Amino acid sequence: MIAVGAVADPTKSARWIEALGQQSNIITSIFARAGFEPVQPAVIQPAAIFLDLIGEDLRARTYVFTDPDGRELCLRPDLTIPTSQLYLDRCGDTGEPARYSYNGTVFRYQRDDANLARPREFRQAGIEYFAPPAPPQAEAEILALTVESIRASGLRAFNVRVGDLAIFDALLEAIDMPSRWREQLRHHLRHPGAFRRQLQKLMRPEEFGRALAEPLFQAIQAARRGSIRHGDAVAALEQHLEARGLAVVGTRTLDEIAWQLEGLAADLKSPPLDPRAALLLDAYIKLNAPAKEVSASVRALLKGTAIDIDPALASFDERLRLAAQEGIDISDAPFAGGFGRQFEYYTGFVFEVLSPVIEIEAPIAGGGRYDRLVEAISGGRAIAAVGSAIHSERLLLAVRGGRP
Amino acid sequence: MTDATSERLILAVPSKGRLMDDTAALIAKGGLTLARTGNERGYRGELKGLPGVEVAFVSASEIADLLRKGEVHLGVTGEDLIRDLIPEAELEVELLKPLGFGHADVVVAVPDFWIDVSTMSDLEEAALLYRRRHGQRMRVATKYRTLTRMFFAGHRYGGSAASLDTVTMYRIVESLGATEGAPAAGLAELIVDITSTGSTLRANGLRILDDGIILKSEANLVMSRRATWSPVSERLKEAVLEAIGGRGKASA
Repeated sequence: MIAVGAVADPTKSARWIEALGQQSNIITSIFARAGFEPVQPAVIQPAAIFLDLIGEDLRARTYVFTDPDGRELCLRPDLTIPTSQLYLDRCGDTGEPARYSYNGTVFRYQRDDANLARPREFRQAGIEYFAPPAPPQAEAEILALTVESIRASGLRAFNVRVGDLAIFDALLEAIDMPSRWREQLRHHLRHPGAFRRQLQKLMRPEEFGRALAEPLFQAIQAARRGSIRHGDAVAALEQHLEARGLAVVGTRTLDEIAWQLEGLAADLKSPPLDPRAALLLDAYIKLNAPAKEVSASVRALLKGTAIDIDPALASFDERLRLAAQEGIDISDAPFAGGFGRQFEYYTGFVFEVLSPVIEIEAPIAGGGRYDRLVEAISGGRAIAAVGSAIHSERLLLAVRGGRP
Repeated sequence: MTDATSERLILAVPSKGRLMDDTAALIAKGGLTLARTGNERGYRGELKGLPGVEVAFVSASEIADLLRKGEVHLGVTGEDLIRDLIPEAELEVELLKPLGFGHADVVVAVPDFWIDVSTMSDLEEAALLYRRRHGQRMRVATKYRTLTRMFFAGHRYGGSAASLDTVTMYRIVESLGATEGAPAAGLAELIVDITSTGSTLRANGLRILDDGIILKSEANLVMSRRATWSPVSERLKEAVLEAIGGRGKASA
């Protein structure tokens, strides 16, 4: 019988399913040969940890539900977080190195369910390396294994793009400013408009004390200078609120508000951000250059300043050398200063693999260094980590020239 | 629901409360009568004086959904619900006419004692510190998931340019009723909700941010682009519009 008016979904055909299976076998055997232990985290995960750690875009696309016991759960939108949790369960006490691989389905809502590059459920084949003894070596190795898997799956034409959040961090640390400004700028890195706006604000700190009555303002300023204790500022805040009949509602504490007010007061007293430093940061996040020219380009930006971030630049170049040793030449890979991938947990070297036949916002693989994720999950110590995941359906689609 | 393909026009009207009364009054002003068919509590009705129009009495949020699916041609419902329940609303529906009643603002409100937070930009700063202190994101209680997400990401309704004062360090917790009580109950740190006079917010120790008005909403006559339109239903649509005073702003 011939179906009229409806085309059968080609990704449900036996041919496609078989090809996807073969591709999985190729990739998982490469991961196994490299000594990554297969793991299988649960499909259903507690929602809170994801909702807290992933970016807003993905959070809106996570399938969240409540089970009969009233627990808030989700279909995992990603496997890095559950694998990090698994590492904590197994090795949290010792912090020893561990190498895990997975090949499992993840779920992300897409409005358009006909876009084959963006299916709502797809298989992620990935590797995660926790507490590597030599992190730059691990970064090169993870990148190399990802590219090797993609090549072995039959893809000839693809591009790698790279970034390095550690260079940005080094730049921030080298520029004189209050640490809360650094935190704000780091947070805005993935939103270029908001980042620029923040730079402008820091060059012209706004008037502070607008709504603050004089005694409270004095107390906050005194606490900032250290001439009274923070606790005294909290007491002054409490009196201020009481006098105005403002009740404390909710979980945010007086201590926190006093702290924030002291921060704002400190901003006011700090010299504004040097316009040259703002220009420099702006130029850096706009920087686009082949990887091999990054060091020279950044040094050119820094010329005439006292800023020295040579260790971060040397470490980036070392990465290129190590990758070449692993058989992957990324010296011509495009580097962007503002590139940090969509997950906020990345902290260092990051990369994505793109196919010319699939839209640029839909990488076929991506990964990098994420030293703060394990710490964010456990609330304990930081553990260095590097990982990468391949979007299996996209890879197969790319291998077939964009047609299933 | 009856299919919207036949030679009729289906008009969805709120099934209870002020919105229904105001809709009935508006229609009466145009010389028509909104009437239920069958028994007094039925969910079907007609416009006496305009044959061919079938009225469906449903809840205001359900009306948005029916318009999106094209199961009714026209509906009377709040712009807040249209914008929140229909992503990319412009593609699915057309707001034909604001009706001059059902006024409510969708706003971002924080506990009044947060004297360090008056703007969205202050909120993001406070949220960063909150995340560090409490090990979790600030929670926003709301039933307006889409409006909240879009507004916090910088989108501005009513044709204004996008704002760069984005707030990202938060998470939404769904609230299905008494949203304004969520901060006091410890279920959320702040809320996005509707308010008409602000008195409920004040009674709960909350305050609207200076730049925290997401949408000034009112009831609208809304057309579904998805519904099947015929010359007959087009003509009936114009007749309904005519009866409520034609296109454009409602008369005060």
